[in-house]
Amino acid sequence: MQTAPAQTRPSRPPMKGYLREYGWAYLFILAPVLLFLIFTLYPVASAFLMSFQQYSIMGSEWIGADNYTRMVHDDVFWKSMRNTVIFTLGTVPVNIVITYALSFFIFQMKNKWQTFFKATMYLPAVASGVTISVVWLAIYDPTNAGLLNRFIGLFGLDPVIWLGKSSTALFSLILMNWLGSHGAGIILYLAAMGGIPKSLYEAADIDHASGWSKFWRITWPLMKPTTLYLLVTGVITSFQVFISVYLMTQGGPNFATTTIAYLIYSTAFNFYEFGLAAAQSFVLAALIIVISIIQFKYFSSDVEY
Amino acid sequence: MARVEFRNIRKEFVDDNKGTFTAVAGSDFVINDKEFVVFVGPSGCGKTTSLRMIAGLERQTSGDIIIGDRVVNNLHPKDRDIAMVFQDYALYPHMTIRENLSFGLKNLKKPKAYIEQKVSQAASILGLESMIDRKPRELSGGQRQRVAVGRAIVRDPQVFLFDEPLSNLDAKLRVQMRVELSELHKRLEATIVYVTHDQVEAMTLGERIVVMNNGIIQQIASPTELYAKPQNMFVAGFIGSPPMNFIDVQKEGNLLHTEGGIFTIPDSMAGALSHYDNRHLILGIRPEHITGEDMPATTNLDYKYVAKIQVVEHLGSENLVYFRVGNRTVTAKVHPETTGYPGMDKTFIFNFDKVHFFDPETEQRIDW
Amino acid sequence: MKSKSKVIMLIVASVILIVWSVLTIIPMYWMLIGSVQDTKSAASFIPKMIPDVLSVAPYERFFGKTNVMRWLFNSLLVSSILTVTNVFLASLAGYAFAKLKFPGNKAVFWILLSTMMIPAQVTLIPLYILMIDVFDLGNTYTAILLPGIVSVGNIFLMKQYMSSLPTSLIHAARIDACGEFGIFWKVILPMAKPGLAVLAIFTFVASWNDFFWPFLVTNSTEMRTIQVGLASFVYADTTDFGALMAGATVAALPMMILFFSLQRYFLQGITIGAVKG
Repeated sequence: MQTAPAQTRPSRPPMKGYLREYGWAYLFILAPVLLFLIFTLYPVASAFLMSFQQYSIMGSEWIGADNYTRMVHDDVFWKSMRNTVIFTLGTVPVNIVITYALSFFIFQMKNKWQTFFKATMYLPAVASGVTISVVWLAIYDPTNAGLLNRFIGLFGLDPVIWLGKSSTALFSLILMNWLGSHGAGIILYLAAMGGIPKSLYEAADIDHASGWSKFWRITWPLMKPTTLYLLVTGVITSFQVFISVYLMTQGGPNFATTTIAYLIYSTAFNFYEFGLAAAQSFVLAALIIVISIIQFKYFSSDVEY
Repeated sequence: MARVEFRNIRKEFVDDNKGTFTAVAGSDFVINDKEFVVFVGPSGCGKTTSLRMIAGLERQTSGDIIIGDRVVNNLHPKDRDIAMVFQDYALYPHMTIRENLSFGLKNLKKPKAYIEQKVSQAASILGLESMIDRKPRELSGGQRQRVAVGRAIVRDPQVFLFDEPLSNLDAKLRVQMRVELSELHKRLEATIVYVTHDQVEAMTLGERIVVMNNGIIQQIASPTELYAKPQNMFVAGFIGSPPMNFIDVQKEGNLLHTEGGIFTIPDSMAGALSHYDNRHLILGIRPEHITGEDMPATTNLDYKYVAKIQVVEHLGSENLVYFRVGNRTVTAKVHPETTGYPGMDKTFIFNFDKVHFFDPETEQRIDW
Repeated sequence: MKSKSKVIMLIVASVILIVWSVLTIIPMYWMLIGSVQDTKSAASFIPKMIPDVLSVAPYERFFGKTNVMRWLFNSLLVSSILTVTNVFLASLAGYAFAKLKFPGNKAVFWILLSTMMIPAQVTLIPLYILMIDVFDLGNTYTAILLPGIVSVGNIFLMKQYMSSLPTSLIHAARIDACGEFGIFWKVILPMAKPGLAVLAIFTFVASWNDFFWPFLVTNSTEMRTIQVGLASFVYADTTDFGALMAGATVAALPMMILFFSLQRYFLQGITIGAVKG
């Protein structure tokens, strides 16, 4: 047996060894991390400071919690909160029911038809928020040229000023959301439905389970992850609804459609109250984060990832 | 001169949930030049981690690895002069077989003519010429396996590393590939380190076998020695199929008492067992060293044990007979014509020339 | 008995699906059909669901009144650049997070991921000030592009996708003397093509349709994207129904064509990285 090689372990400066081992990995994530620092972390910190300032390009002034005090004493702020909550409650759960029902029906179809309906239901999703808003602006046209007014005219009803009346404006925004694209949700539901083993239903058939109980005992529980996913993303999106408000109602009439996101925009870019807008945005962020955390708790306790 | 040496190699992983996990706890061994060494053990025993450390895919927590005459601790895999064959073959799916084989040499900036010569040579050794321009997905499992081996061959490495290369093949193909690998080793005259969880593969391929469990090397020995002289109860139980039987015995004077039987200690063993007077011992006996009384045996017929048969399995060439000694189930691999049926009281003969003794506390072998 | 109820179920399902499909498609149909009908006086004009005469006059007016060709060019440019940067950087980072070991891997990933919860409204104002006042990039392509170079959502998708690729190929490539970037470029990317295609398509569509950020940082008509341009047209001229529909069609049609030609990627791509349960 030969003797051990007469060589000692080459000593490397620790920093160099570190770079040699992990340098590439850090290089690969460098761009996102830099972008995160400049375009997320810095703005968040800056917005936080700003929310305690009377902002001005010439030099800001510390005003403590004044922005927050002003905000909670502002009726429009509370109205926008109310509108945002109504909009969210009016769209997200309804959309989930619609999406689920459509998925359930599509699931009964043959493959070819499944693809057809999936594509049809998905189509509006490729049109931009601006396009959709422009089209619905025309559908809601207050004269009898508006498509919706023509439709209700078939039943002898008078034209309605859909977007111009406080009583119908917010509902109009909700209605247009119901008729939007359910494609993404349908695809997720169908994927989940396709993943349910047939043996579960066969076992249920042997136990003489009714269609209804098969739905409640088998299908629905297995759809829970998808439903929760749609719920979380749906709530986050609808809390930030902006384009349709901006293009169709400008928050009116009489703030009936002012959502929190629109209020922030208008505080910042119509009135140049950057500090107040920052304070409002942190309330929105807090709401979204709290809701997300509640949902995440559901995810981790109930759902196997 | 491609020996591979581990000097006090430790490997720890930090797992988010379980904290620090020791995959390899202080390994020391030398693999000689041109030797075929097989690492065997149950999953999670540290054998694959050891192989990956040789390759440079994992970095040891402490200790030195030496390949040839170089300490390779800080060398990249490409600089270690090794090649590896993976369990799932790891062929690049978007490249043809030719591209798969030449990828490494291209990266090493070898001359074109050299690459072509190496690739066609490897292809002809492995019979891959006809499919050289196909993609891996167009090949069968056995063919992919050959390509994976070919990719290692073209590199002309000092050391070949095999990570469970046959585990994805069906039983028949596995036997065939085993033979091919054996021949390849003779032909290539290279050092081979081979990892498997299959003890049959280990016994048939390895010139020496490293048995590992829980990150610790249990024994390094030739197949014959592993079988004849397992160092501890783990090796004894791991090598051999069906595994070795363990029977609890109590030594009193020159007698071994077990539930339902007494054996006289042969003179040849008396010395080795002298420290164990009035103590508990584990007696190990392989199933093939227990025979039925009705069959002619060349062994000492004094070592009899009468037991009620529980189950008999007929395998054609032999029968496996199960009975109980104390609270342990004992398997006997007997001649197919041995009489026996469940419930029958049967007299078995233990071949005492082939028994093993283990210390119940340390589980180590007591040599006699 | 069983089959009879099944047939009824199928009929009910078909009817509901057809009705809902019509409801989903009607706004799009209304847009298209509205963009090819015209009369002289816009006020008294009532577009028909099934027109007797087709006309390109609305398009002529929309193209005449606006800088639409420039807007389309801007959108194409911005979307293309963002698609390239997102696909490259998100797959690179996703690969690193999924397959490479380095101190801080999980921590950095989770910090990035958690920023997805922060609504855009929070960062918007400082970002606006940063771009316009600090960097003085108002009304430039750079300003439109910078914040969108790579999105965390895309990194997350790519990490999910890359995790499903076999690690042994990376090991094999390392032994085959391939450098770390070479592994990504020559081994990982070719294998990840389906995922990259999906990412590219979704990024392109999202960038094309993005409104708010380009709207904030542009103020000249030359720098507007098609979405911002269309919105400005709505604000400026709300009475010309035909021209509005023509504009909406121009903004939407490229994406619809993309959708119909790459339907498969759209319909399967959604499930990448989403809920597995």
